[in-house]
Amino acid sequence: MSSDIENLTEKTENLSNDPIYDTNWCHMPDDIKLECIGKMDFNERMSLRCTAKAERSLVESKKIKFYECDIHRASDVLYDDGRNHYVSLTSKKWNSFSKTFENPNNAFKSMNYIWKIGVFNNLSIRSNDPAVKEELMNYSGKISAKHIELDCCDHEIVAAVLRKMNYDVESVTQVQNTGYWLTKDFKPTASLHNVAQILIDRDFNIGFTFQLSLNADGSFAEFLGHFVDRIVSKDEKTVRIRTNNPDRHILLQRGLDEVVKTTYRLQFFRLMVISAETKESEYDDDCKKWISQMDSEAYFDYDAFLNDFYYGVFQ
Amino acid sequence: MSSTEQGTSSAAPAEPTTAPESAAAPEVPESFYYVHGKDKVVHKVSAGALQHSALIHGMISNLGYTEEQAKANPFPFENIDGDILQMVVDWCNQHKGKPTPPEDTNLPKQKEKLFDLVLAVNYLEIKELLTYCCKQVAMMVKGKSPEEIREIWMIPTDAEDEAAEKEAKKRAGKEAAGETAAAAGDAK
Repeated sequence: MSSDIENLTEKTENLSNDPIYDTNWCHMPDDIKLECIGKMDFNERMSLRCTAKAERSLVESKKIKFYECDIHRASDVLYDDGRNHYVSLTSKKWNSFSKTFENPNNAFKSMNYIWKIGVFNNLSIRSNDPAVKEELMNYSGKISAKHIELDCCDHEIVAAVLRKMNYDVESVTQVQNTGYWLTKDFKPTASLHNVAQILIDRDFNIGFTFQLSLNADGSFAEFLGHFVDRIVSKDEKTVRIRTNNPDRHILLQRGLDEVVKTTYRLQFFRLMVISAETKESEYDDDCKKWISQMDSEAYFDYDAFLNDFYYGVFQ
Repeated sequence: MSSTEQGTSSAAPAEPTTAPESAAAPEVPESFYYVHGKDKVVHKVSAGALQHSALIHGMISNLGYTEEQAKANPFPFENIDGDILQMVVDWCNQHKGKPTPPEDTNLPKQKEKLFDLVLAVNYLEIKELLTYCCKQVAMMVKGKSPEEIREIWMIPTDAEDEAAEKEAKKRAGKEAAGETAAAAGDAK
């Protein structure tokens, strides 16, 4: 009993010696909270978001920069059901966060939040899953990214992404895997003029670039046919069309040179929004760089590789 | 705050000290101003150090205080605790006329002081110190789960929030009813 009283006295003494502070996170004005949230990494923001409704709305109002966001099906070989989705986020080049979702709906719950708050340097979507398409098409917000890469995505996903993009997007690359072209009712050649139409409708900024690789023929001719009334100039590798904005034109380039020829297994196209003042002499005709971004094998020298390999191993 | 070349703290304003004269060229004596917090302890701070605070800098520019006037009328910051104001003054003195470093290790680690410091710095509009403080606040929850964050920052759950709101409404209703009854009693 006496020891209890002593303890209590000691505690009371300590209490009276310590300064009493009442200020806490809840006393911070929202602008300060937002400033603090801005200094937090993604994981801490996710945790804070789960503490209370008020914190959730604050966290969701603060943008976060990601170096990379990669959404793809985990593996079509290992998981034949095709329902495993993998989301990987990299806030800086060396700081990654990734998660695999067995149920794509769980992945989308996260993705809706991530799209809402994320400002991506690179955003990569590699999936032809109907659930991904549906979710993207139903997403009502905007996607903010500098470069977007769409792999194995059909033209409806491309159109959905283009319509939801903020104007800060500099480039979109659509890389097609031959395996996915067998999808029922899929019209690969429709992509090119559909994309150009969206660029016209949304009046995309000068400099915006859309790159596409596909293994079906006819895109170039179909593009010409679709925009016959808008053509400013054309030759065998380029078509220039006018947009609804008198200051902007769209240039379609077909990637052809002495290495990548019409007989190559893939066709490469680049759509660019250019100034109406741009002269033909100012076109960038060197397609090697942008084709290499989509197909690293296009310029790969197999003879030299085999030669090096042979001499490296056997001599 | 200990007496320094840039400033002193005392219950009454101290005499300003003059900057040491250079052999090459005589320096212009620096102006000093005085501030006090809730505890009324007056801190003497150089104009150079006070440049960090957009609020005080604006007050000085707008009011056109002379040094004598400033000495007689210290800037009162009744909403800032004395020890917090001391920290702010120390920081301003340490970073007077210097480029601010990317990290500041001298900031308080205790959450209560840190939050008070954040509020004070926000009020005084010291942008760089506010940035450091906010970073420090963010560091408090590094690697923590939602439950841990709730505990560290005393964030009430939605259920607790709703209960507190209901309680407040109930109390307000009772008080209003009490006032009405008292008014009716007075009328009789």
